[in-house]
Amino acid sequence: MNLSLRDVRHDFSRFLLTAVGLGLLLTVVLAMTGIYNGIIKDATALPDSLGADLWIVQRDTRGPFAELSRVSSDLEERARAVPGVARARSYVSHTIQRQLPNGRPLRFTAVGLSWPDDLGGGLPIVRGRPLAQPHYECLVDSSLGLSLGQRIPLGRDVYTVVGITDGLLASGGDPSAFFTLSDAQRIQNDVSNEAIRLDREARSARVRQSALGRDPELVRFSGKNAQLIPALGPLPVSAVMLNIDPGVPLDTVQARLQGWQDITVYSQAEEHGLILGGVVEKTRLQIGLFRGLLVVISAILMGLIIYTMTVDKIHSIALLKLLGARMTVILGMILEEALLLGGIAYVLAVIIGNFAFDIFPRRVVIENEHRLALLGIVIAISIASSAIGMKKALAADPNEVLAA
Amino acid sequence: MSDPIPAVQARSLSKHYGEGNTYVLALKEATFQIHPGEVVALLGPSGSGKSTLLTILGLINPPDTGWLQVGGVEVIRDGAVVGDANLIRRRNLGFVFQRSNLIPFLTAEENVRLVLELDDVPRREAVRRAREILESLGVADRARHLPMQLSGGQQQRVAIARALIHEPSLLLADEPTASLDKELGRRVMELLRTAAIERGAAVLVVTHDHRALDLVDRIFEIEDGVLDTEGAKLRGATR
Repeated sequence: MNLSLRDVRHDFSRFLLTAVGLGLLLTVVLAMTGIYNGIIKDATALPDSLGADLWIVQRDTRGPFAELSRVSSDLEERARAVPGVARARSYVSHTIQRQLPNGRPLRFTAVGLSWPDDLGGGLPIVRGRPLAQPHYECLVDSSLGLSLGQRIPLGRDVYTVVGITDGLLASGGDPSAFFTLSDAQRIQNDVSNEAIRLDREARSARVRQSALGRDPELVRFSGKNAQLIPALGPLPVSAVMLNIDPGVPLDTVQARLQGWQDITVYSQAEEHGLILGGVVEKTRLQIGLFRGLLVVISAILMGLIIYTMTVDKIHSIALLKLLGARMTVILGMILEEALLLGGIAYVLAVIIGNFAFDIFPRRVVIENEHRLALLGIVIAISIASSAIGMKKALAADPNEVLAA
Repeated sequence: MSDPIPAVQARSLSKHYGEGNTYVLALKEATFQIHPGEVVALLGPSGSGKSTLLTILGLINPPDTGWLQVGGVEVIRDGAVVGDANLIRRRNLGFVFQRSNLIPFLTAEENVRLVLELDDVPRREAVRRAREILESLGVADRARHLPMQLSGGQQQRVAIARALIHEPSLLLADEPTASLDKELGRRVMELLRTAAIERGAAVLVVTHDHRALDLVDRIFEIEDGVLDTEGAKLRGATR
């Protein structure tokens, strides 16, 4: 005769309600795990989708994801000339927050792709097409909530959404939007007319006050568009991405490039390490601690629940002892109830998670291994908490039955 | 022809509580025997030692000294339990209490067959025997009901069924009629007596209820821990 099942059956609604409460707590534990995994996946999704073998960044920086990096745009041409390099692309990215005409805030990380070498065809586009024009088109992540064909005013220009990607978020959790490199730089450096005029006036004044001011042609040029002044050079980019010829050792090309004094070169794996060790580390620790705290809270709550359930039937336990029940029968009943409670709570947590996590603002990634890990934790908690009930049961005195 | 083997045989059972100023000798050299099918009432005022004797016979509290045999098996020697007390209780002892003390989350039938299943009797056999004894006690139609769905009298019958289903050598009944009205109390005592005779169990009934003493075979009286197995004070009044 299974005493635990009969005890549960006796007051099933109370037992179920307790299991639901515990299940919700375990859902939060599962959510914490999923959010942690989502942060890692989000942080690495963008560099992974761009498919570079090596990243060239500003010397002694850990860019372009973990830290700001600025390198000359002509670095792309220099790198392309290195033996073993099959493809070189410039990369720029910056996070912006604007407002749509309807008042809705729009926050995303603008990523510049080298036109016409990189049209975004390697990105996970789920609707629409890659970029087809050098200007005024963009690809946006589905989490941004924009639709195909939608027009977004950014700075002085209006950009049309031509493709929707899926799951491409920056390490901060903001959705990514992809433009041609020049458009991304234009958006990044967009300033008001007044700011441009003031900048040109200041530049002309600096030229006039120096020896260069003796040349009227130079003075005239200094007040024009900065991009037209050869001495000022083009705008910098965040990094240059390289792909290596098949069969050429990555280390060889990386070592050769490391010899250049103005840059630092990271492999894709090293970029992963920089992102996870720097950008995500504190978040990871914080969520890990929070998750640990929740597990402890769950264990304490479950211990109290099992203790209360044991106290509720302490008279029956004393009676069982008087009737000559083996201790294994009594302790088994308490353990089985704890495992049953934990099991139902676990199943509820998994089911609730399957429905609820999709509507979380941040990505929640739960794999089978995480579900199994939680199951292991639940079993451990159940056994530990049943020990509290068992201790109470061991102390139950058959004399209580005679005294009642 | 030799006497039949007593269901219970006790020699010099003694028990004390406390030390120094709080020292109380709760049971003094109790010696007695009860035969199969015999119903014995144990009478005495509060604090006289009734419960102490009951817990010693139930192997809940061991005595300080003494010897006890139940069903021909030595269970206490020199004040210590011989063997597995749980096993002895499962097989040789039955209990009936003032309140039915049924397990609230088990049905009447489950409460009864639990005793057998605790001793690893196969489920089918346990169910058959439980239904049989519930039938004999007139509560077979309530077999699938929980204790809270039974009347006080029905609960007490189920409790008696539980106490007797494993055919114990000794049935210990602690005030089994105290919470019942006169008629029902007498009916319960009759049931105990009939069941004891049919199943060959010795019954020791602790009671304050003098109304049903005509249904017992002998009366033990206890006062200040001294057991009088002759029941001299009451014998005349009840017989």
